[in-house]
Amino acid sequence: MMNAISLKILDKFSRLFHLLGINYITMRQILAIKLTMDQRRVPTIFQDVKQKENSNAFLKSLLLYALYGLVLIPFLIMGDNYLFQMSIVFGMVMFILMTSMIADFSTVLLDVRDKAILNTKPVDQKTISAAKMIHVVIYMTQLTGAFILIPLAVSLFVKGITFSLLLLVEIIFVALFIIVLTALIYMLILRYFDGERLKDLINYVQIFLSVSIIVGYQFIAHSFQFVDYVVSFDWQWWHVLIPPIWFAAPFEWLLLGNQEWYIMLFTALAALIPIGSIFVYIKFIPSFERNLQKMMQTSGSTKIRKHRWEQTMAKLICRTNHEKTLFQFAYKMISQEREFKLKVYPSLGFSIIMPFILLFNVIQTDSNAPYAYLAIYFCNLMIPNVIHMLKFSSKYKGSWIYGVLPIANRKSIYRATLKAFIVKLYLPIILLICTIFLTIFSDISLLPDMIAIILVGIWYIVICYRLINNQHYPFSQPFSFAQNTNTAMMIVTMFVIGGFAFVHFLVSLTSFGVYFYIIVLFISNWISWKKVFS
Amino acid sequence: MRPIKTSQTSVLKIENLTKSFNGKPVLVGVDFEVYRGQIIGYIGPNGAGKSTTVKIMLGLIDKYNGKVEIFGQDIANADVSYKAKIGYVPENGEVYDDLTAQEYLTFVGKMYGMTENAIDYKAKRLMDKFGIYESFTSRISSFSKGMKQKLLIISSILHDPELLFFDEPLSGLDANSVMIVKELMAQLAAEGKTIFYSSHIMDVVEKISNRIILLADGKVIADGTFEQLKEKNEGTLEQIFNELTGFNEHEKIASEIVSIVHEGHKS
Repeated sequence: MMNAISLKILDKFSRLFHLLGINYITMRQILAIKLTMDQRRVPTIFQDVKQKENSNAFLKSLLLYALYGLVLIPFLIMGDNYLFQMSIVFGMVMFILMTSMIADFSTVLLDVRDKAILNTKPVDQKTISAAKMIHVVIYMTQLTGAFILIPLAVSLFVKGITFSLLLLVEIIFVALFIIVLTALIYMLILRYFDGERLKDLINYVQIFLSVSIIVGYQFIAHSFQFVDYVVSFDWQWWHVLIPPIWFAAPFEWLLLGNQEWYIMLFTALAALIPIGSIFVYIKFIPSFERNLQKMMQTSGSTKIRKHRWEQTMAKLICRTNHEKTLFQFAYKMISQEREFKLKVYPSLGFSIIMPFILLFNVIQTDSNAPYAYLAIYFCNLMIPNVIHMLKFSSKYKGSWIYGVLPIANRKSIYRATLKAFIVKLYLPIILLICTIFLTIFSDISLLPDMIAIILVGIWYIVICYRLINNQHYPFSQPFSFAQNTNTAMMIVTMFVIGGFAFVHFLVSLTSFGVYFYIIVLFISNWISWKKVFS
Repeated sequence: MRPIKTSQTSVLKIENLTKSFNGKPVLVGVDFEVYRGQIIGYIGPNGAGKSTTVKIMLGLIDKYNGKVEIFGQDIANADVSYKAKIGYVPENGEVYDDLTAQEYLTFVGKMYGMTENAIDYKAKRLMDKFGIYESFTSRISSFSKGMKQKLLIISSILHDPELLFFDEPLSGLDANSVMIVKELMAQLAAEGKTIFYSSHIMDVVEKISNRIILLADGKVIADGTFEQLKEKNEGTLEQIFNELTGFNEHEKIASEIVSIVHEGHKS
């Protein structure tokens, strides 16, 4: 339904496309097909004959974006320090757009099937590229629309028409900028790499982008000093590198009449960079499409990696030979499956950074904060997300292998997988964080608390497994459009972790409480791991 | 080297085609000309450059050296309209499998400039002839390998093309369907369609092709009818293939494999 509307609107511009030398009718047909396929990117295991369209998943995710959008409202209406407020607003907008662009729409930009299916038909490259671009634009419009609609309406009432018009125009610029920026980054990589290495690299860029957006966000917040509730801005050269500030500047200039030179500079950047990048993009499309061919090639032999570390760990923590093998299998899957890494690693980056952000915010207000180490609990927030994702694989059909193998205890498959998660992802991260915390506080007496936190984490892994995916084999379900939106579950698990942190706080009020806590956790771990998998 | 009926119309002509990826040569001077009504068996060991040739002819790879003419047009300067008369079955079965068969065929047909009614009428009956009519409105992702292959064949002939590129068209098909497709190729060729067919199954290539082009290490090392190839070499096409590509160790390798298989059983 919504797609039909999008296409109808697009029809109004058909003349424009003709003018650009694009075969509009063909482009529309390609788009119609692509949009239909998007709608179906929902769990697709047992789909059968003549089923109804289920656009619910996408609609639901739009509703969720609308919900996220509410977060913008306080920053829009709180005052008139626009440079600060709007930087935050645009920071959020860019975060949401960029992450969804990377996570959900990379597949559109990098779909290699297009080559074999579209380019063998009498369709010229220009039309195919245009269809691709418009496809992304439609998706981004729907998403941005959902995200910004309510805040825009509120700003219209509170701030008046000029403000909201300016906001609307800038949002369009931001969206275009994000689309083109993502595409340009891919182009750059595709130029220099090929085959499997390239896919890995794209994967890392996706992860890096997601993480850097989170970090960048902190930079925005720290670009402003709060002195006596007055926000002041001190010009630094690196502010030029933070796009949200560019987009905030026009508000400062047009609505408040601030004509500082750097405000003008930012405004110019906000206008020129997006437009300029579109031209660069159009110029490079042909070479992009050519390089896309590389995605299908496999580069030569790769060097054989040693995996002594996994083998040693497998021997240490797995009992049967089957379990050892399954452990190594899961270990490899976790470290090599791209889709899995793409969905999981950004949230890992987040859980590394979160404790420190919290720590620094606490230290800023109270420099000796004795319970600051409890911030490490935030790291445990990654657990439910990862456990949830362990069910999925882009090659889920390969899971027939579990069925044909002579494995007596089917639950050992998951036990091995969870162990692999602990060894490969959980322990390295939490140990890193604990070490840094210990170094910062240079207080070895925190060590028992750290141990307790790690034990909680390991216990929590079994609990989450029980709650979230008891019955499935690991890596046996297809990734789908909507599975990221398990918000209710995330909130519940957040409270549970908060509960653990609170118990820890209570326990540490007594003198030897922590040691007692460790013993209790140890026993509960032992019992749970035994009971759940027998 | 140029065999059979040169008086006929040339459909496809490749002259001194070379192509390398990142400095690694894949094609080192390929030459051949294909005439109307021929069924070309295009064979060669893995990595010989077969797919690359086909992809260049389809316009999926540009930046090559040499000349490729299809229907008398140099495809390097031609617009895409020559593709309207080509049908293609891709090697890896690439298909938008979130769509239903009906949607996919309608889409492909429209891309070739057919009207929706014509497509639907034709597609339904073709699906019926291939015995998969009841899956017309099912999603392709639920198809078996054979069904998917049938669908790809249908989508390649739906628009009545003059030139067909079949890359392993029989993979996944049952014996009866294989017979249909083989007969289909023969009849289409008799009508004057040209079929460019690559496969690793030598028996089939031997039987259905009226000309065989053998590619190895990026160049054509044999070109002619099966009879012509037999004049120079003995045996079946499979044996000729092994001989020309310098491979005669299959027995030795197989027995080595068997002995390796027997190793390493603990219990």
